[in-house]
Amino acid sequence: MSPEPQDTQPVDTRRVDAREKVTGAALYATDLHPDQLAHATLATATIGRGRIAELDVSAAAAVPGVLLVLSHLDHLDLQSPGFVMGGGYGVQSLQPLLDDRIAYRGQAIALVVAETLTAATEAANLVRARYETEPFAATLDSPGVERLSQPATIPLPFLADLDVGDAESAYATAALHVDATYDQPAQHQNPMELIGATVSWRGDTLVVHEGTQNAGAIRHGLAQQLGIDAANVEVISPYTGGGFGQKNSLQIHIGPLALAARRLGRPVKLVVSRAQLFHHTSFRPASRHRIRLGADEHGRMVAAIHEVEHQTSRHDLFPLMYTEITSRLYGIRDFRGRQTFARMDTQSPGFMRAPFEHPAAFAFESAVDELAYAAHRDPLEFRLANDTTVDPVSGEPFSSRHLAQCLRRGAKRFGWSARQQRPASMRAEDGSLVGWGVAVGAYPASIVPSAAHLVAGADGRIRVEVDGHEMGQGIRSTIAILVAENLGIGVHDVDIVVGDTRVATQHLTAGSWGTASTLGAVHAALRALREQLGMDTRGPVDVASAVRATGRDQVEARAETLGPGQTEQDAEHARKGLPTLSGPEFPGYSTFSWIAHFVEVRVEPTTCRIRVPRVVSVADCGRVASPVTAASQVRGGIVWGIGASLREAGAVDPRYGGFLNNSLEEYPVPVNADIGTLDVDFIGEPDLRFHPVGVKGLGEVSMVGVAAAVANAVFHATGVRHRRLPIRIEDVLAGTTA
Amino acid sequence: MRPFAYTKVETLAEAVDALAAAGPQARLLAGGTTLYDLMKLEIETPSAVVDVHRVADLAGFDTSGDRELVFGAGARMADVAEDGRLRRDYPALSESLWRAASQQLRNMATLGGNLLQRTRCPYFRGGEPFACNKRSPGSGCAAQEGLDRSNALFGGSEACIAVYPGDWATALVAFDAEVDVHGPGGARSLPLARLHREPGDTPQHEHNLAPGEIITRVRVPVTPAGRGSAYLKIRDRESYAFALVSAAVALTLDGDGRVDECRIAVGGVATRPWRVPAAEQALRGNAITEASARAAGEAAFTGARPGRANAFKIELGTRTVADAVRLAGSRAVG
Ligand SMILES: Cc1cc2nc3c(=O)[nH]c(=O)nc-3n(C[C@H](O)[C@H](O)[C@H](O)COP(=O)(O)OP(=O)(O)OC[C@H]3O[C@@H](n4cnc5c(N)ncnc54)[C@H](O)[C@@H]3O)c2cc1C
Ligand code: SF4
Repeated sequence: MSPEPQDTQPVDTRRVDAREKVTGAALYATDLHPDQLAHATLATATIGRGRIAELDVSAAAAVPGVLLVLSHLDHLDLQSPGFVMGGGYGVQSLQPLLDDRIAYRGQAIALVVAETLTAATEAANLVRARYETEPFAATLDSPGVERLSQPATIPLPFLADLDVGDAESAYATAALHVDATYDQPAQHQNPMELIGATVSWRGDTLVVHEGTQNAGAIRHGLAQQLGIDAANVEVISPYTGGGFGQKNSLQIHIGPLALAARRLGRPVKLVVSRAQLFHHTSFRPASRHRIRLGADEHGRMVAAIHEVEHQTSRHDLFPLMYTEITSRLYGIRDFRGRQTFARMDTQSPGFMRAPFEHPAAFAFESAVDELAYAAHRDPLEFRLANDTTVDPVSGEPFSSRHLAQCLRRGAKRFGWSARQQRPASMRAEDGSLVGWGVAVGAYPASIVPSAAHLVAGADGRIRVEVDGHEMGQGIRSTIAILVAENLGIGVHDVDIVVGDTRVATQHLTAGSWGTASTLGAVHAALRALREQLGMDTRGPVDVASAVRATGRDQVEARAETLGPGQTEQDAEHARKGLPTLSGPEFPGYSTFSWIAHFVEVRVEPTTCRIRVPRVVSVADCGRVASPVTAASQVRGGIVWGIGASLREAGAVDPRYGGFLNNSLEEYPVPVNADIGTLDVDFIGEPDLRFHPVGVKGLGEVSMVGVAAAVANAVFHATGVRHRRLPIRIEDVLAGTTA
Repeated sequence: MRPFAYTKVETLAEAVDALAAAGPQARLLAGGTTLYDLMKLEIETPSAVVDVHRVADLAGFDTSGDRELVFGAGARMADVAEDGRLRRDYPALSESLWRAASQQLRNMATLGGNLLQRTRCPYFRGGEPFACNKRSPGSGCAAQEGLDRSNALFGGSEACIAVYPGDWATALVAFDAEVDVHGPGGARSLPLARLHREPGDTPQHEHNLAPGEIITRVRVPVTPAGRGSAYLKIRDRESYAFALVSAAVALTLDGDGRVDECRIAVGGVATRPWRVPAAEQALRGNAITEASARAAGEAAFTGARPGRANAFKIELGTRTVADAVRLAGSRAVG
């Protein structure tokens, strides 16, 4: 990495909160046990769609220790929070428990509160409902799915169809063609920390502890739901045990919990069970991609058409943004993108790590591989030959794009030059088929409004209160390193408060903009602090004596920052708890993070088990703000990619709707034994055109393209192309002979 | 979870008495890794639970005998899996244990509980709204027209096609293990092959223990085929997953390298531990070659009745048996 000039002191780059986390000292939202705590559970619907004809909660209410059963029979005074992608705050617009409608299997029908978790659980199982059922659709292939063109339904510029040049004609006249359809199943985040909250009232003030990426949306959404002033809502979320997009908005249980806590005059806690999680909140929607690619006789890609549909709920339109990156991966002049909603009877899907980019890259980068083979070209060299420095959509340059360097460096580390082009031509000593695959990924860069408040103490410590959330990505470490490097102090002299609406607006932390946005604000506040302390703009600072020299106990500095091109209006929007994104197209340039993945698979010749002994990934995320947590981010992304390509799918029985495999046993995320060597490297060139410190995003891009690299490697190993994820034993077995 | 009476006992006699006193709705509790799970799902709703995990009469195991290996029903999977003698002389038995579940589960789970673990059929565990004759007799079987990737190809009935999921019993059935039980009527033994029932019309009845009977020990006759044994398990991930297909093979070779003693069972595909005599017969008397191993695999899967999404297990299982035969053969030689 290339540090900024003022970075003089080498700092400790280990995770600053590692000890708290591994010793259990870090308290997550549902680790709290306030006095008088009552426990809540949910009863859920068993039908795919319809209405509750009769609800009997008497047996539940009679369980000893039960304090309260809330359902639509209680006419709860609660409004919809709106959908986070529809101008609102909620994980979906549909707030259960308000009426007798059932929109999907697993929808909450009652909230039970009791003295103990055991009593609440027993009682929830005793809630009895009689339903009137209606036909429903639960998969992309089910009858009754309603298809809507995205631009016709939501005429917003960023959701428009992409038409660059004339892709249909260019495709028609191309020398080489690929036309293939790729399927991505529904997937579920399954963070270790379950979704849950501890909710209480302090007078008229509602206090919510919930692991979240978006304390601001919870605050403002609850204010809207309950008809109270947002100033009377405090949301506190110092740690989130993995979010991955599932915790990016107001969940459906918090409003009802607030009502229960008010009625009982006691704090109430709910931890949504792992089994219920699969229906309680958002998930990655199933999507289907038809990709048409054309190349000229020299192997130059000249046309791309990406048509995609994905599932959404009946009540919300979760937008599609798949073509944003597929139109930028290469210098393809003529590009056409078409995106279609497929409405069906599920809870609303949402953002799951690399929400669009992972499925899009699987489809597109598989197709590119197919085209490389059709052109008899090495897939690495083919990609390099189609590189670009200009954003083909906007016509502006990329502020930074070191993708070719990622590819070259990765190839060298991987030993790509020893690859034989012909599929099924490489074997390991044990007879396994060896496959080597490559794919690239991209993720749009964004900066959101942010804020930081620094307090320098006479004891030499710096307190940092910021707009930003810690969800395992290591934001505390990133901030501590920046402050420590800047002032020449130790990382443990920095105290950091994140995810707390009492200290700052808490904008959604997601989409890999967290680091860039929060660090931008901290960086600006550091400049202000140095000024306040009368220090130079760079060089180490003896904080204690500088503070004492001012004659005060402490010195404070504040900064509020915006994304490039954003205005005070955007800042105001963000203060209301609404997502306020800039990018990836900025005035004069576009910004994306880039990555190249190289994957080796081994396919057992007989039983066709696929193993992934090694992966090499090289990322261009601008400056590497925190090397340890950055490498962890990429390793985690690769593991997700391996899971997504070989293991994970929400299983849907169309007769019942919902998801059948709702446990960690049946929804097979990878285990350690599935993961081999993960070799991660960074280009580390700061992107100072995009950002004052030079950082772009990393968490999301790290997963993008892994699945394609795996699928391409499986093709190289076996000679059979798999276009549906996950690729399982039976798929590979079907292509082999005894 | 429903309220239940909990009794902890220290001796086998106390356990038998407590179980008899608690009546037919009582359940024995060993490691709890199946029972507690199902109680939380309200699929098991016992009125009383008798905890035997401290009963010394059930603990321990002895792999040093010259006539038989003896395993206490209360021995932990992890302890037995790690036994040096078992690993050397009966690798299939050890492998069937350490390839099961996860280390944490194996630390808790007992051999007796393992034998009586219940199916992982998702419609059984899913509770309402799924029709399931095993959970709720007479309600139907959602698996038959549903997602049946994990369901049985052998031993199913109109009423139920749930797989018996245990690895240990699959290996044991190949070794002609005997099960000792103790109940109100005293002690008796039965072959492991007769411990589990096929579903027939009554899939809710899964085993042949009389009410109040407790498994005390599992005994495995000593055999030289133990050395030449292997348990191969193919699953969706490399740990913490049940078998898509598994094969237990144990054999000896004569002076000419021909298979003499031969024992083969398959797992993940049948409603009870599934010995495959036809495969044994196909292999016996033959040298182990690609062709003879494959023939054994094909014999093992003759008569399979696949459903909608599990037909691939015929070919996968055939190859798994063939691989296990070759691995067992290589161990038998050297
Ligand atoms: C996530 C997960 C993954 C798993 N994966 C595998 C796997 O891959 N392969 C595999 O084989 N198993 C697997 N298992 C199952 C596990 O091995 C069993 O749950 C375990 O062996 C049961 O033993 P226990 O002592 O915990 O039994 P318990 O849960 O205590 O009891 C199970 C049943 O046996 C009865 N019982 C217990 N002891 C006796 C006795 N002495 N006499 C009569 N009845 C008795 C109980 O009443 C109860 O009905 C898995 C389990 C889980 C939860
Ligand atoms: S196969 Fe058996 S356990 Fe599964 S749903 Fe059918 S009856 Fe129930």
